[in-house]
Amino acid sequence: MAEKACWLTNVRLETGYRYDNGTVAGTETALFHIQIADGKISDIVPADEPLETNVPRRDANGALMLPAFRDMHIHLDKTYYGGPWKAPTIAARGIWTRLEEERKLLPRLLPVARERAERLLELLIQAGSTRIRTHCNVDPIVGLKNLEATLQAAETYKGRAAVEIVAFPQHGLLRSQSVSLVREALRSGAGIVGGVDPATVDGNIEKSLHTVMELAVAADADIDLHIHDPGQLGIFTFQRLAALTEEAGWQGRVNISHALALADIPPEEAGRVAELLARQGITITSSVPLGKTIPIPLLSDKGLRISLGDDSITDHWSPFGKGDSLEKAGILAERFGLRDERSLGQALRYITGGVTPLDPQGRRLWPNAGDDADLVLVAASCSAEAVARRAGRVAVFFQGNQVAGELGAQHAERMRFVE
Amino acid sequence: MNKTYWLTNVLLETGYQVENGMIAGTRTECRHLLIQDGKVAKIVPAVEPVSDEHSVLDAKKLLALPSFVEQHCHLDKTLLGDRWRATTPAGSIFERLEIEKQVLSAVSTPTQMRAERLLDIYSRSGVTHVRTHVDVYPEVGLDNLEQVKRALQTFEGKLSSEIVAFPQHGLLRSKSKQLVREALRQGASLVGGVDPATVDGDPEASLQEMVELAVAGNAGIDLHLHDADHLGIFTIKRLAQLTIEAGLQGKVAVSHAFALGDISQAQAEDMGALLADAGVAIITSVPINRRFPPVGLLRRKGVAVAVGCDNIMDVWSPFGNGDILERAGRLAELSGWADERALARTLPFITGGTMPLDEDGEVAWPKVGDDADMVLVEASCSAEAVARRSKRAATMFRGGIAAGTIE
Repeated sequence: MAEKACWLTNVRLETGYRYDNGTVAGTETALFHIQIADGKISDIVPADEPLETNVPRRDANGALMLPAFRDMHIHLDKTYYGGPWKAPTIAARGIWTRLEEERKLLPRLLPVARERAERLLELLIQAGSTRIRTHCNVDPIVGLKNLEATLQAAETYKGRAAVEIVAFPQHGLLRSQSVSLVREALRSGAGIVGGVDPATVDGNIEKSLHTVMELAVAADADIDLHIHDPGQLGIFTFQRLAALTEEAGWQGRVNISHALALADIPPEEAGRVAELLARQGITITSSVPLGKTIPIPLLSDKGLRISLGDDSITDHWSPFGKGDSLEKAGILAERFGLRDERSLGQALRYITGGVTPLDPQGRRLWPNAGDDADLVLVAASCSAEAVARRAGRVAVFFQGNQVAGELGAQHAERMRFVE
Repeated sequence: MNKTYWLTNVLLETGYQVENGMIAGTRTECRHLLIQDGKVAKIVPAVEPVSDEHSVLDAKKLLALPSFVEQHCHLDKTLLGDRWRATTPAGSIFERLEIEKQVLSAVSTPTQMRAERLLDIYSRSGVTHVRTHVDVYPEVGLDNLEQVKRALQTFEGKLSSEIVAFPQHGLLRSKSKQLVREALRQGASLVGGVDPATVDGDPEASLQEMVELAVAGNAGIDLHLHDADHLGIFTIKRLAQLTIEAGLQGKVAVSHAFALGDISQAQAEDMGALLADAGVAIITSVPINRRFPPVGLLRRKGVAVAVGCDNIMDVWSPFGNGDILERAGRLAELSGWADERALARTLPFITGGTMPLDEDGEVAWPKVGDDADMVLVEASCSAEAVARRSKRAATMFRGGIAAGTIE
């Protein structure tokens, strides 16, 4: 699968922080040559050492190397992206309006579902995301047909990105009687059990969560639930989920998407809930909604692992969305006032599965020989700049293969205009 | 631009498409526009042949929107074109002001060059009018004003502008009254100011001095007001009163006005009525890290509201891409304006109030006689342009191509 070995030359890597009066004033970088072989980073040498090799070289021209990005929450199967513009209607009855719309909409979108999923995957990969988690509708309206379309799209992009599929009973696992459909989806290529608001949508928190757990344990699958339920209703649901996670021994295998209730409670309480979830290895994915944002830095400080996702990219739920994880990280930084060099650079971890080139003390963490060659070359001088400025993506590598962008003269021209 | 030519195959909005009593989309048609003396001289259906005595520029079905207005920027502060630097943490606005003085006095890229860099981004993003604040304070005197004027000179024929003489370090606090007065004589047309309470320490004296300068200089006012809740509201009320007393209605704006986001809806309704009555406009940069004025409510009360980008990578913020359409999209997203009409109605906040379709869905722009100031975008309608931040193909100012191409 992987290309033959090559040297990426003149790659900029972060080597430490520069301090001024005890505060981080900037990031030190240096140029390196990086050997890629068998999908891994196999060697890293300073660029000022002569490189004697027969292996092909490709000049990165000083572009900054970052770990590849992850988009951990998207809906590839019902997007308008790549099709004609259509604004969402006014949702007079909230989520029920949207679910009602899906009755007619999903069958209509089905013929173009695969094509649009592929267009969207292309967009995400161009932006530097090579690990993508998509929530795929599994419901009585489309059955497993959206799953088939998503699987086909994932197959097209095999070798260019790792796509994981959540069997998502959008219309309610219980409410739409989709238990056997989800079970079937897990046998047919979906790897993760989904769900949505056990209280509001399913009307039975305990039964809904139990059913999710049973499905997951039977299929040896991870869990990813959309929980928008507000305030103490949401918090109670998280607590029950944590208890069931512990009972089932499913620590490290459960994710909550949105978890909006964490935005409704005082910081001290949010901190306690974060610790409770972290103890069960439960993780959170946020789309960093501008109107109601959960306190991400606070939760992260309490040990809760948080990832970001784009969620809707122009569909009947929302007309917005860019499909750019780095944009999400930048929005997060702006939202929470992360403006100094260290905070900006460290914000990268939310879109890289926790990997940053430097740790908060400025020690080099990444890359190391032996790491997967999943990386993005960007037109920036450091991670902080990349996040704040949403630096231009020069090239994207997945498992050692270049999957987007271009290294070459054109790129060298671009590097001269780094902002 | 005196040239007369046909801009052909321009997509224009003609009305809303209504299904079951709901707006389901926007209707558009292709038209040819005769551009003469920088104005739209004729609008004809695209099926009609164009007279061949004039040259032709084919817009190839790009959507025309009224060009954009950047109502709040600091051309002299941006660090674009210089090296990257993050924001240095500061304990107070005064510490920040000191840091800024130091950084800007040491930055090697000249102010004019940095300003031109930002103007270029604005022009490419569809902007044809810029209101820029320019710092005046004893250490720099009118140097920044000179440099910004030269940068704007470079963009003559591509955009129009107005300059706010901005005493960033406090009109009273930095004793900059004379400098502001001098700046008004040398090209600035608005008196600026910042937090009369927190920065100047004396809101009454600070506001009085601003108004006095404005009246004497036949200028407008644009006050940066970050002061929160009751303090900010107190300041806005007093400014509104002084505005009416001085007969400055329609010439005064409050930028940021965060306090309007800190009060109850009932109080905001009252403030909206008061601002509309005093002819005081509100300018917001749509911040996402704090509450900001309720733009929809203010519009409903008849207040003139505009959006500006404010900081674009400067000593205050490392963020900002200089795309005013991005800001409009952000405003829509934050406000929950996601349907066709709500999205389209976001546009006038960045066009100085102009929108292709009026409140009733009737064509309001372009009309024969309008300035040929427009931006051609790769979109099917205004709503799409706002939600998707559609790509700008070309910016047209007074009939001439200011940025981009239509080839």
